Amino acid sequence: MVPPRLQPAGLLELLGREGAERREPLREALSRRLDVLVPAVLSEVLGRARLTEMLLRYVDLDMVVAAVDLDAAAARLDVDEVVRRVDVDAVVDRVEVDSVVDRVDVDAVVRRVDVASVIERVDVDAVAGKLDLDGVLDRVDLTAVVLGRVDLDAVLDAVLDRIDLTSVVLERVDLDALVQAILARVDLVALAEEVIDAVDLPEIIRESTGSMASDTVRGARMQGIAADEAVGRAVDRLLLRRGRRTTQAPGVGASPERPEQTPIPAQTDRTS
Amino acid sequence: MSGGGVSPLPREARPYQGQRAGLVTRLVAAAIDGAVVGLMLLGGYVALAGLLFLVDPRGFTFPDVALILSLASAFVVLVVYLTISWLISGRTYGCLVMGLRVVGPRGQKMHLVGALVRALFCAVFPVGLLWVAVSQANRSVQDTVLRTSVVYDWQPRGAPGHPIPPEGT
Repeated sequence: MVPPRLQPAGLLELLGREGAERREPLREALSRRLDVLVPAVLSEVLGRARLTEMLLRYVDLDMVVAAVDLDAAAARLDVDEVVRRVDVDAVVDRVEVDSVVDRVDVDAVVRRVDVASVIERVDVDAVAGKLDLDGVLDRVDLTAVVLGRVDLDAVLDAVLDRIDLTSVVLERVDLDALVQAILARVDLVALAEEVIDAVDLPEIIRESTGSMASDTVRGARMQGIAADEAVGRAVDRLLLRRGRRTTQAPGVGASPERPEQTPIPAQTDRTS
Repeated sequence: MSGGGVSPLPREARPYQGQRAGLVTRLVAAAIDGAVVGLMLLGGYVALAGLLFLVDPRGFTFPDVALILSLASAFVVLVVYLTISWLISGRTYGCLVMGLRVVGPRGQKMHLVGALVRALFCAVFPVGLLWVAVSQANRSVQDTVLRTSVVYDWQPRGAPGHPIPPEGT
């Protein structure tokens, strides 16, 4: 009673054919829109999401790493090609050597080193043969090293204890030349004058050879000088004068010692 | 001492070498010179008496010298004695004993005329010596007028550091 075109089966078949015709264009349109929409949405989502934290929290990295066949991966790796591509200079430039060195526990490293075996392996003679000792000595301030680190007094004492300095001097020093050199430098006349003045040789000679008469004369002269000064001072005081008398005679030459610096003894011991 | 050699002078006397002498020392020196002149006059008188005795022993009597002649003789002897002493060494016997020396205006030794004039001045006006006490430069009237000086000089031949130059220099 119902025409076949309007029967449900026919109707569904019709709808299926129409849907099939429209599905493909719609899928293409949807694909185009997803190509535009998904990157944008994903970029926004990834920008906001903390992927590293999420990865560390939710992913069991040990299990992942365990699942990876590293040997196979390493076998497939062309290390030479990798190394060739690496700009080593740039890498080295980026490395902060100081911070790396700071992190290194040198003591621990040294503790691990078997120094004895290292030394056994080293051909010290060969190393010494390669050393440029002259260059090393040129760089080192030996004087400063010796002065700073050597106990020179102890060294000197030890050396002096071991050697007989007197015999060394007597055997190896040309004493005549030494004495000649010293005498050439020393003003003997001036030295003799200083010594004679220091010991007051004229006074000694006077004491040993002088007579009572010369002692009396000397005492009389000194007392005369003292009396002269006393009379001069008294007269100056009487005349209300101030200052010393000008008694230096012209052309005779000033005495190196001023009279006021050497008080006159009232009476010398030798006049008695 | 430097450059001057060894000084034979006593230490206490060195500072005064070359300084003008004061009144007391010069008075003592003048007194000694007076005694020397007196002895010379006495010697001359004795010599004269001896000569007269030799000439006429029987009629010998000590010569009676007039006062004026004695004074004139003393004056001459004093002037000659002073002149010769200052001319030769710059010091009379009195100056020698007291360590004094008479020098000219520039410290040089006296020349003949200077020594003679000074001797005459001293013989005529001996009181002028007292001016030494008043003078601030320890100068007598004779020194002030003739510009001479009497200095302490214990060196027998002049101070080694500043020898007295010869006359005329």
